Amino acid sequence: MSDEELIKRAKKGDERAFTQLVKKYESLVYSFAFKMCRDEDKASETWQDTFVNVFRKLHQFDGRSKFTTWLYSIVTNSCKMKRRQRKLDQASVSIEMPADNQDDPDHDHPVQTIPSWRDTPLDSVMDKELRTLLDDAIQKLPYDYRVVFVLRDVEGMSAVETGKILKLSVPAVKSRLRRARVFLREQLNPYMTT
Amino acid sequence: MKKKTVRCHDVLGHICEELDTKLTSARCRALKRHLEKCPNCTAYLDSLRKTITLYASSPNPRIPGKARKELFAVLKLEHRHTGRKAASHTKSR
Repeated sequence: MSDEELIKRAKKGDERAFTQLVKKYESLVYSFAFKMCRDEDKASETWQDTFVNVFRKLHQFDGRSKFTTWLYSIVTNSCKMKRRQRKLDQASVSIEMPADNQDDPDHDHPVQTIPSWRDTPLDSVMDKELRTLLDDAIQKLPYDYRVVFVLRDVEGMSAVETGKILKLSVPAVKSRLRRARVFLREQLNPYMTT
Repeated sequence: MKKKTVRCHDVLGHICEELDTKLTSARCRALKRHLEKCPNCTAYLDSLRKTITLYASSPNPRIPGKARKELFAVLKLEHRHTGRKAASHTKSR
């Protein structure tokens, strides 16, 4: 059954149709929530809150955007609410410094001063030290940058879709993404070059 | 027509935007020409790509069964495994 049909039926109170929607998108929502929180308990709470909100607000979904776009906006709002409740932003750092100015404008020679990163095993063989480093680095990244990075680079959303989800202009999405990437790269650099 | 030349500073300023796009515009072609001869910018671009790959490929844990049971109970929906109405012992939220 198509999303359109499931949503139509769920809006009319068809529990089976809503259950099918939950089943279809539960992994997507949990994966996104975990990538944002990097914590299983917080991801579970965000996952639950998201589907409770979907259940309550489904009648507001008018079909003008993709269902996944609407769903991601519910998850990001649930994440934000959780963070406000826990005042978690205190743990992150400011990345407002102009990343462009970190580079020497006169530097224009081919002598390599930026060390190459070593190849690192991914997935199941990723070592504990690297996992911890990845978790710490993304936790330090302020929420507004983290959500753009996860939507664009991890979830593979376009800049336009990301802008719709977060109610941001495309230039703002690009700017936050650039800063987020540079920040995370800097955090991983010592580990990846030694 | 004179080819646009770029310097490392220009590359580093725009490299992120071009990471996931095809290098077809005039600016992108100029960036590509620069990357071909600059080991610094190439190393930087490679490290940015690896940063993204590390985050995108890190594994996710499974949805805890307890969380699923609680959700279905709150929404009073049928649990997908049991096929019965979920139990009424919902977590206070």
